Amino acid sequence: MRMEEFEEKVRADPSLSRVSLRARLEEGTLFLEGETDTWEQVVELGHLAAGVEGVRGVVNRLWPRGLPRPERRREPKGRAPWDGMRADVVVVGAGIVGAAIARELSRYELEVVLVEKEEDVAWGQSKGGASWIHGFAGMDADPSSLKARLCVEGNALYDRWAEELGFPFHRPGLLAVVMGEELVPLLEVAAERVREHGCPVRVVGREELHRMEPGLPEEAAGALFFPTYGVVAPYAVTLALVENAVANGVKLLLGTEVIGVRVEEGRVRGVITDRGEILTSFLVNAAGLYSDEVAELAGSPEFTIHPRKGEMLLIDWKRAGACRHNLAPGELSEDPYTKGGGISLTVDGNMLWGPTALEVPHKEDTDTTREGTERVWERFSRYLPSIRRTDVITAFAGVRAATYTEDFHLAPSRRVRGLVNVGGIQSPGITAAPAIARRAVEILKGEGLELREKPSFNPIRRAPPRFRELSDEEREALIAGDRRYGHMVCRCEHVTEGEVVEAVRRGATTLDGVKFRTRAGMGRCQGGFCTPHLLRILSRELGRPVEEITKKGGRSRVVVCRIKEPLLRG
Amino acid sequence: MEREVELVVVGGGAAGLAAALKAREEGVGEVWVLDRNEEPGGILPQCIHTGFGLHYFRENLTGPEYIHRFVRRAREEGIVMRLNTMVLRLTPEREVVAVNPQEGLLRLRAGAVVLAMGCRERPRGSLLIPGGRPAGIFTAGTAQRLLDVEGLLPGREVVILGSGDVGLIMARRFVMEGIRVRAVVEQLPYPGGLSRNVVQCLEDFGIPLLLRSTVTCIHGRERVEGVTVAEVDGEGRPVPGTERRIPCDTLVLSVGLIPENELSEGAGILLDGRTGGPVVDEFMRTSLEGVLACGNAVTVFDLVDHVTLTGERAGEAAARYLRGELPPPRGVREVEPGENVRLVVPQRIAGEGPVTLYLRVSRPLREVRVEVGGRSFSRKAVRPPEMVTLTLGREEVGELGERVPVRVEGLPLER
Repeated sequence: MRMEEFEEKVRADPSLSRVSLRARLEEGTLFLEGETDTWEQVVELGHLAAGVEGVRGVVNRLWPRGLPRPERRREPKGRAPWDGMRADVVVVGAGIVGAAIARELSRYELEVVLVEKEEDVAWGQSKGGASWIHGFAGMDADPSSLKARLCVEGNALYDRWAEELGFPFHRPGLLAVVMGEELVPLLEVAAERVREHGCPVRVVGREELHRMEPGLPEEAAGALFFPTYGVVAPYAVTLALVENAVANGVKLLLGTEVIGVRVEEGRVRGVITDRGEILTSFLVNAAGLYSDEVAELAGSPEFTIHPRKGEMLLIDWKRAGACRHNLAPGELSEDPYTKGGGISLTVDGNMLWGPTALEVPHKEDTDTTREGTERVWERFSRYLPSIRRTDVITAFAGVRAATYTEDFHLAPSRRVRGLVNVGGIQSPGITAAPAIARRAVEILKGEGLELREKPSFNPIRRAPPRFRELSDEEREALIAGDRRYGHMVCRCEHVTEGEVVEAVRRGATTLDGVKFRTRAGMGRCQGGFCTPHLLRILSRELGRPVEEITKKGGRSRVVVCRIKEPLLRG
Repeated sequence: MEREVELVVVGGGAAGLAAALKAREEGVGEVWVLDRNEEPGGILPQCIHTGFGLHYFRENLTGPEYIHRFVRRAREEGIVMRLNTMVLRLTPEREVVAVNPQEGLLRLRAGAVVLAMGCRERPRGSLLIPGGRPAGIFTAGTAQRLLDVEGLLPGREVVILGSGDVGLIMARRFVMEGIRVRAVVEQLPYPGGLSRNVVQCLEDFGIPLLLRSTVTCIHGRERVEGVTVAEVDGEGRPVPGTERRIPCDTLVLSVGLIPENELSEGAGILLDGRTGGPVVDEFMRTSLEGVLACGNAVTVFDLVDHVTLTGERAGEAAARYLRGELPPPRGVREVEPGENVRLVVPQRIAGEGPVTLYLRVSRPLREVRVEVGGRSFSRKAVRPPEMVTLTLGREEVGELGERVPVRVEGLPLER
């Protein structure tokens, strides 16, 4: 589709008659401006624009009439002691992608700074509790697309990553199950398409399917089996990557937000944050949902992120036996831009159902909805009829950072030298992360970054002990070394005080920080019992008054003050 | 550490301590009570209001007063109390594996085991309340612990969802501490807690009780900023158009208690889907030989006095079991909950009686007839929050058939 055809198509569509649209194509970037009636129209036009010939990215500034535009306030909050420091590379965003890139860069003789706006790592898209390590990028994906290639490459790299970094990883495989005999003949056709990606797959007949997965209902007639599908907890991978990166010399700045980029003579010269400036010639933009805004701050808008919300249900690990493989409905998803979610085994034994896919205007919209949780329940409960509603521990939601081309945007900026954009990393981004990191470093090299291997680089990160997963003998030894490993603070997930203290030592400063590192508060009572204990331990270990302890940074204080304090203050 | 112990009691709250004391009184030489908290007493030390012991002691005591009597006697009687001690598993051979900081792993081979783990609160997740996940959402018991044990104020403006007893008690407690309670929101057409608590905790303090309503959304990213409350229809679905937003910084949940039985499940003990606790007979025997259960781990009781009594029954039975004097469960009669009966404990009758039955009705009724295996008992009024207690004498038990249907009849009761 040429530009004129695109504009004609919009004009001719009666449903878009009230849309005011101005479009211009500049060096492969298509800019859209104007107003629409609805958010759906904004997204629809963005996707349509991505199909215009020669478009490598869509900057979509359309906005629905009357809908308030979210503005992120980016203002200085003070001056940190490091203000004015120099770095060879600044990586923005400590999600799995930024962390992987920082860790990859720590192999070399470089000063690397990893900047994160939240008070802990992995608090954006990477906060999800389970991700598949996909064998391929999905039925709808073009095998030659960047994300398809990096997905296959990343999958193969995970075993080594898990071994070096000590995060839980296993490959239970995936069964894409068809309900109804009439769909079975289509499985072989589908398998052929999967093989084009270079992903191992085979057709499984009814009998074998029910042997592999006895919990499936009668209607389950056959499946595709993907043996290389794995499972990780994205936050656990990110934590491990960051710990290893920091151990290898990367400087981590948490609670630090980029508010500007110093560009001189078309080249990055510095990264301005709300706590000071870092002088650098290379900036890796791995800011996830905000990667489009960081590119814009550098004066180089090349793509727009449109948030796509996904809601999920967490199932109690008491029901771990109900399912042995990851399961997906063997049907094409109603939404062409997602793979439709599934039933994930997590590394902790819970199941995670979902996610849904809903285009939302706000990047921070992680609200769960009645409709969303109902949809997940209805879509997946038919595959595992033994699961009851009381087995659902909680619902939560995350937001994916999609671009309108629906591919990864992994490229040097076309306008600003030294800026490398790593945007639009949605599914299968977790899978592709090791490959993305390698690619990003290659791009930096191509941009002139000098890479000299560092002999002292140590790829190994030791995982902290987890009481729940140890044998009784190992537990005895652990407690003999540190009595606090004998003090249980989370009774649902069997997390000890020793593990909480270790989590704080490794960087947790909040309840969520402890929860994501140890699982304390993630179980069926959802923190009811352990919260008072965790508050006490955090307060003691951090040397902060208990009323200053937050759930997740910012204004999320757990308690407001000591009792009677209002009286004392008058 | 490994050793043999005559009786191991899991849980040092009202049920566990009563069981331990009774067993001691009945001559059991060595009784160990294992409790995961740092103080004994279960939930009672944080229940600083009165209303405890009206039946058992014929006195009106606070929670700490009530339980202190048992804790003191347990010390005097030489009962071994292991605190900060979490039981990790129970095997069908009655090996109890626990952990604490001082001794590390404990492996106790028990002659008999009494399960008295109590119950836990239903959290927000189980209700799937839509909205954000900010700080400031607490179960009532957690809020109570923060306020009355830790001395911390959980918020300044509160909405309470659910009108269970802990929620009602906390509503009053918040007001006393200068916290504003915007409303108590209850999905059912009647309150979930005892009538006396509705009067003494809400009405006396002018706190609005919104019946047939629920919280449909939690607002706030970092800290709770408000909740949306809507009326519900007969099926509990929110009625569109009735939503209104109530500003608050805290949402407290009092939406039910669940018997805590991960240990029982792990040991393969048969559970009752209605109570969420082990199936027991009138001796409080579970399906696993030598293992008894009592208190809120069996079913959530309305009064601590009943919890204590079931504990004593379990303690006595444990002592008899250890002496080889407990009649084997022969000719067991199954108690079958029927019309208007939500649950009954015990679920089985194994001996000659007398037998005390505890039952909860599924809706409020007046001019009530309770039929148990053909016998009929009358009550003026019954409500779901209040347990109905019936005692069958030896003669009545003797007349029971193999199946003991229990049903309740009456006229609808409007509050």
